[in-house]
Amino acid sequence: MAFEFKLPDIGEGVVEGEVVKWKVAEGDTVKMDQPMVEIMTDKATVEIPAPKAGRVARIMVPEGKICLVGQVLIVIDDATNGKAVAVAAPTLAPQPATAATAATTRAPEPSLLRRVLATPATRKIARELGVDLGRVPATGRNGRVTTADVRGHHTGVGASRLATTITTRPVVQETPVTVVSIGNEERIPFRGVRKAIAANLSRSKLTAAHFTYVEEIDVTELVALRARAKDRAAERGIKLSYLPFLIRASIAGLRKWPSLNSSLDEEKQEIVQKHYYHIGVATQGPQGLSVGVVRDADKKSIFDLAREVERLAEAIRTGKAARDELVGGTFTISSLGQLGGVLATPIINFPEAAIMGVHKIAEKPAVRGGQIVIRQLMNLSISVDHRIADGYDGAMFLQEVKTYLEDPTLMFLEMV
Amino acid sequence: MTSYFAGDELARATGLLEILRPDGSAVGEVPRTIDRDLAVRMYRGMLLIRIMDERLLALQRQGRIGFYGEARGQEAAIVGSAAALAEGDWIVPALREAGAGLYAGMPLRQYIAQLYGNANDAGKGRQLPCHPCDRAVNYVVMSSCIATQAPHAVGIAMAMKIAGDAGKVVIGYVGDGATSEPDFHVAMNFAGVFRPPVVLFCQNNQWAISTPGKLQTASQTIAVKGIAYGVDSFRVDGNDVFAVYEATRRAVDRARAGDGPTFIEALTYRIGAHSSSDDPSRYRDESITLEWKTGKDPLARFRTFLAARGWLDDGAEAALAEAVEAEVRAAIAAEEAAPLPPLASLVEDVYERLPWHLTEQLEELRKEH
Repeated sequence: MAFEFKLPDIGEGVVEGEVVKWKVAEGDTVKMDQPMVEIMTDKATVEIPAPKAGRVARIMVPEGKICLVGQVLIVIDDATNGKAVAVAAPTLAPQPATAATAATTRAPEPSLLRRVLATPATRKIARELGVDLGRVPATGRNGRVTTADVRGHHTGVGASRLATTITTRPVVQETPVTVVSIGNEERIPFRGVRKAIAANLSRSKLTAAHFTYVEEIDVTELVALRARAKDRAAERGIKLSYLPFLIRASIAGLRKWPSLNSSLDEEKQEIVQKHYYHIGVATQGPQGLSVGVVRDADKKSIFDLAREVERLAEAIRTGKAARDELVGGTFTISSLGQLGGVLATPIINFPEAAIMGVHKIAEKPAVRGGQIVIRQLMNLSISVDHRIADGYDGAMFLQEVKTYLEDPTLMFLEMV
Repeated sequence: MTSYFAGDELARATGLLEILRPDGSAVGEVPRTIDRDLAVRMYRGMLLIRIMDERLLALQRQGRIGFYGEARGQEAAIVGSAAALAEGDWIVPALREAGAGLYAGMPLRQYIAQLYGNANDAGKGRQLPCHPCDRAVNYVVMSSCIATQAPHAVGIAMAMKIAGDAGKVVIGYVGDGATSEPDFHVAMNFAGVFRPPVVLFCQNNQWAISTPGKLQTASQTIAVKGIAYGVDSFRVDGNDVFAVYEATRRAVDRARAGDGPTFIEALTYRIGAHSSSDDPSRYRDESITLEWKTGKDPLARFRTFLAARGWLDDGAEAALAEAVEAEVRAAIAAEEAAPLPPLASLVEDVYERLPWHLTEQLEELRKEH
């Protein structure tokens, strides 16, 4: 009969192994315990001896491919009569959910659905109330019966209904929009970068609870500083914009208000607070907006930041940016440069927690010590995901950024 | 040999007792305590480990048992020390001393049953493989925690002394890595101060998983550590079954006579992986392993000696190997076919009266099986 040998857990808790070398071929006659195959797991490379004597009917996983623990590795025909049996690890080898194994014979698995999932505390309450857990409709995660379900079932109130309204995300029913032609039009295929931008930003807008906050910054000293530093930078071949200063000031703010450097892990229901600072800089590319990510921006000098921002912008403009240069940011800065405008409601680069819009620097009248004076003023707009951070956090963050931008020498006092 | 034991304690702890050279020739006379019967019995015990471990490792690779920690290459240290014990003595083993339990009389099937965790397993399938025990021969189940064997062994010996259970000896096994653990030092201190009938036996196989001996200790040898605690310490060639036997016999005799503890370092080499989950080629030079495997093998030198002495000729040796192999295969076949422990054993032996939640869970499990 055909004997299906499934890859056992040959280490302690390994989940898969790569087939390094087959020492037998289909059609070969093998002896029991004859060296059969070399498997490399994350712990060790081991040789598996043949578990049966017989003829190799089929090698299921070729060299160089990964075999999951529990997946059939080889079929050996031991020339006896009988139905195919699968003998695998006697331990708790997980059954891989692949089509390949689904097609082969295997013993029916005990269904997890028949087992009632509930915490010991819930079980205790059910027991005290005399409630049979198996009859309580479950509303918890992974089909878990919650204490509320038990109490609801006991008192006859549909606790499940109540819980459902809380935990279920509203589903937006969308009917595709058709635009009927009524005049001279041009139809451009909606795809590629445009389509990706649309998907990302709609998702962000529909998921994150955006609020936007705007602050006016007096950048007179920053303008003077940059004017002085510009020539020094140019000597080194660096084009010095305001972005490096904005990045540095943002990091100071993020350090103090880390909820803005976070993401919400919806699956695990955890807020992930990041202790690294990969700052995205939104740049207009030939096909649309892209965000170049300056990695570990907190560890770079102003000149390093300038170089990296320039390099990424150039890569995006020429369409040469690598994918990993465009993902993995923790916070994004969007600047329209001299166009700039007065304020904006930037859309968060999901799943980041916040995005900062930078507006035009212009000479404007300002009141200082009771006198009207001419200062260089600029607005910053910040959009924050209210699910993760509150208005206070956003406002305080921008306050921190303002402090650094208005007195840029502070940036250098804290430089690493 | 006489000169080794007559030397001062520092010389014993830093020297190396050798009776059977790697080429199978004896250094001087073979101790009179070793006769043909004992020699052949020890050889069989060593052969059992060699043959059994090869089979059991294959079973692990085939997914038939979950884990295995082999002892090949260390057979002389294991069997030579176990052979020095008498009926009623206690063995507190580490990972690689199942062969000592088998030598003392633990049935092979009981060991194999433990590897399968089946209904015949004394531990009812609750332990990782390689954790056998046998109450009949006072072979204590291995504690997986490194070095705990030392305080356990010393504690059992102290209890015997307090209880007036005279004439019995405890041997506690540790590895080289264990000698860096606090437990080892605590146990040595108690042994030195209270002088219970204990032998602490270190199988120095030179690798604590991936940590080599030179990163383990800056001590000249492991045996010298005993001197600081006032425990007489021997250092022997662990691949020389006669040296191991003779040193352990002297230690056991001394303990039995009420003259206190001994620490023995048996210098050997782990020619295989630490366990079935390990791959030594990732961290050590396997050409050195090959030198130990081919040049210093404990079985090969013993076989050469036995043949030269006329105690076991080639034909008898082959017959013995065949018999051992058949015994191993039969034991595996029998235990593989044995049923699993009853489902209810999952919840037994902890509470005197089963609490409701375990009753409930057992009922749920029964519905599924």
